[in-house]
Amino acid sequence: MNSYVQLFDAEQMMTKIRELAVQIADQFANSGRELALVGIHQLGVPLARLLHEELNKLGIKTEFGMLDITMYRDDIGTRNLLPMIHETVIPFDVDDRIIILVDDVLSSGRTIRAALDALTDYGRPGLIRLAVLVDRGEPEFPIRADFVGFEVSLPAERKVLVNFETVDNVAAGIYDVNWQK
Amino acid sequence: MQWKRKDLLGLYDLSAEEITFILDTAAEFKKVSERRVKKVPALRGMTVVNFFVEPSTRTRVSFELAEQRLSADIVNMQAQASSLLKGETLLDTVKNIEALQVDLVVMRHSATGAQNFIADRLKCGVINAGDGAHEHPTQGLLDLFTIREKKGGFKGLNVSIIGDILHSRVARSNIWGLLKLGANVTVAGPSTLVPREFEEIGVRVCHNLKDAVVNADVVNLLRIQHERQNNGFFPGIGEYSSHFGLKAATLDMMKPDALIMHPGPINRDVELAGEVADGPNSVILEQVTNGLAVRMAVLFLVAGCRK
Amino acid sequence: MSELLLKNARIVDPARNIDEIGDIAVADGVIVEAASLKSPEVIDLTGKVLSPGFIDVHVHLRQPGNTTAETIASGTAAAAAGGFTSIVAMPNTNPSADTAGAIEYLRRIADEQGMVKVLPCGNMTKGGKGEEMAGIGSLKNAGVVALSDDGKCIQDHGLMRHVVEYAKSFNLPILDHCEETTLASGGVMNEGKWSVLLGMNGIPGASEELIIARNIIFARQINWKIHMQHVSTKDSVDMLRRARAKGVPVTGEATPHHLSLTDECVKKFDTNYKMNPPLRSEEDRQALIQGIADGTITVIATDHAPHTQTAKLVEFDHAPFGIIGLETALPVCFTQLVVPGIITIPQLISKFTTGPADVLGLENYSLSIGNPADITVFDPEAKYTVDKNTFRSKARNTPFDGMKVQGRINLTVVDGKIVFREGC
Repeated sequence: MNSYVQLFDAEQMMTKIRELAVQIADQFANSGRELALVGIHQLGVPLARLLHEELNKLGIKTEFGMLDITMYRDDIGTRNLLPMIHETVIPFDVDDRIIILVDDVLSSGRTIRAALDALTDYGRPGLIRLAVLVDRGEPEFPIRADFVGFEVSLPAERKVLVNFETVDNVAAGIYDVNWQK
Repeated sequence: MQWKRKDLLGLYDLSAEEITFILDTAAEFKKVSERRVKKVPALRGMTVVNFFVEPSTRTRVSFELAEQRLSADIVNMQAQASSLLKGETLLDTVKNIEALQVDLVVMRHSATGAQNFIADRLKCGVINAGDGAHEHPTQGLLDLFTIREKKGGFKGLNVSIIGDILHSRVARSNIWGLLKLGANVTVAGPSTLVPREFEEIGVRVCHNLKDAVVNADVVNLLRIQHERQNNGFFPGIGEYSSHFGLKAATLDMMKPDALIMHPGPINRDVELAGEVADGPNSVILEQVTNGLAVRMAVLFLVAGCRK
Repeated sequence: MSELLLKNARIVDPARNIDEIGDIAVADGVIVEAASLKSPEVIDLTGKVLSPGFIDVHVHLRQPGNTTAETIASGTAAAAAGGFTSIVAMPNTNPSADTAGAIEYLRRIADEQGMVKVLPCGNMTKGGKGEEMAGIGSLKNAGVVALSDDGKCIQDHGLMRHVVEYAKSFNLPILDHCEETTLASGGVMNEGKWSVLLGMNGIPGASEELIIARNIIFARQINWKIHMQHVSTKDSVDMLRRARAKGVPVTGEATPHHLSLTDECVKKFDTNYKMNPPLRSEEDRQALIQGIADGTITVIATDHAPHTQTAKLVEFDHAPFGIIGLETALPVCFTQLVVPGIITIPQLISKFTTGPADVLGLENYSLSIGNPADITVFDPEAKYTVDKNTFRSKARNTPFDGMKVQGRINLTVVDGKIVFREGC
């Protein structure tokens, strides 16, 4: 059995997401450039969607996209990963746009590295910023998030799980999961 | 699902779920070729050997381009250029290739099952680019991809394959794939080239063009090989064409939205009239485009699962 | 000379219609009365079956020509381990056994190195090429027991007719590999559902059946013995059955592999399923079994065809035809035919003894007092898994490796001498 320790409940999580939307709005609402949120599969996508909705509520128009970074990973064929590709949808012109890359957890930074490669293959964005709900604080790459919900420090073997809704009877919220083999 | 095969040898081996998984993956790779940057780093640092022990231009170019778009390093080997003719066995040759730390071997061979024989004995992945009259799985998959894209699915779809079925690996890969995905398959052509035994696996066999096309949603025409005529399978190209060649007039008895497919290269005005090949029902060039996406998907999946 | 007393065995002697528990005594290489023994070596064979020595009328020893694959020494050792006391050596060696000199060579080496009796078979045509008749008279003088162009088949029917006529005058039976080559050309497996599904070139049953029909016609018209090697199809069995019912002097053999395997096996692309004639359909296999059961097919022969691993470890299309069979014949046939109750133990033994003896014209092939002490003993209850690495043959090209079988050879005696003994 995996043991789940709840770090933040659903309400704390949603409050934090609203705060993040406000921070993004404060910084870019008056930049005069077009804004887009791009969620990284898998859990960056629902987070980006929530931020997209919150920004719309604040009256800020943003585009929304989904990015799969499997083709850009650095561990293909090492068996850590059996290939499984999700749909990439970038329904807008990337060139010169401000793009907020969105992921649920910033851990090693490798996913973000791959996402930057993937995104720049779609065009030449004017500015890219990174928003995450949880920053574990010990990236393996020199990559930092610009918008951070929670800072969580945990041993490397533990996993941070974000549930935007109830999954397998585990309620929405953020958890410290101790993996039992 | 997850992909768990180190080789792709034929569609006979695959489940419907696996075939669908490849097609879904290919759909994402098709988008890559539509971007300005038509390349992803998925196979960066990996080496793919294209080992063709039978001449091929189209399939080899398609695989090469797919490999380049996945950022793989490529070595091409032809049978004529290799040591095969000096008396080294096929197994020794591919073991030597593998010893060069190659990750994948894409192989075409004139002998049925050669790739199965090799794949069992190598650690690296093997992709079948056509073996004898046995299977040509990536061609089968690209045909399936094209049909799915145009028709939305396979359940209850009537697909007719017309031509020299007996000697066609394209036909066999199509038949296995289509049957697994729920299509109704008809094979048609001269009785000497369309064995009745296909009925035993649930394929309709007929020897009359009209019968084959009237209710078809998809008509896949195969290239007729001139040398078959010398072996006494049929009297001549002219007679073949008059009985089994698909002409503009044939379209009039078909469903208006029926797809015309051909694996290429076309013998224009033999198995397929030029004006039909170039006409609105034809998806022949889209098959070529889709072939690239399907081969990228297959290379990617197999590479992700080697050892 | 040594003496042997084989005690408490189930003695099965088809020629004399004997099936009873008893003892067999051997002295000076022949079968004697037990009472006449002075100080015999006694072997208790309780629970075992004892019969006249098995004969295989279809063996390729590969010497001279391909001694990497097999030699007379290794091939006869394999025969001994398989319970065979006599084997007929096919003439398609290199050079071919189409001259008296070649036969003398075979007999000399077999005499020096052979573990069992090697009965030479000469070619019907020079080099087995089907073009010119071989020196059949001098072959007879050199000691051949039969004639065959095995591996090939005379396509010129006029020539074949002359060969049959001529062979009759020298009292030599013909063992014919029945294959019409325009139909078989380029084929690597049975033509049927599986060749169609796999996209392989097929060898149709008609290729064999046409020649079986021809041979039946010649055997009837010339009234001479033609034995059909490795019969593999239903129609062949049917023709043979009708011809034999009419008294035509034809016989047929089935191999253990055609009795136990079908063309579906080829889908594994293992070249140990490639032989000629090819593995046929399940319907054909059932017809062969029926032919064995009703007596249409009187002989089981192995077509033991050794090839090196190098030769077989290639693409299916490019591999040579043939598999080895001496050391798996009894267990495979016992498992396929006796265990399910299709035939009895005495019937099975007849396919390995009186059946082949009749083809070769050997009189009174039995355990009668005074006969050469050629004896085979096996355990009908022993169950084991075939392991090709235990074979005496130099070759390993068998499809039966790893197969669970019942029936194990325990003892092989040739001219009173034990040439194989295991588990008794």
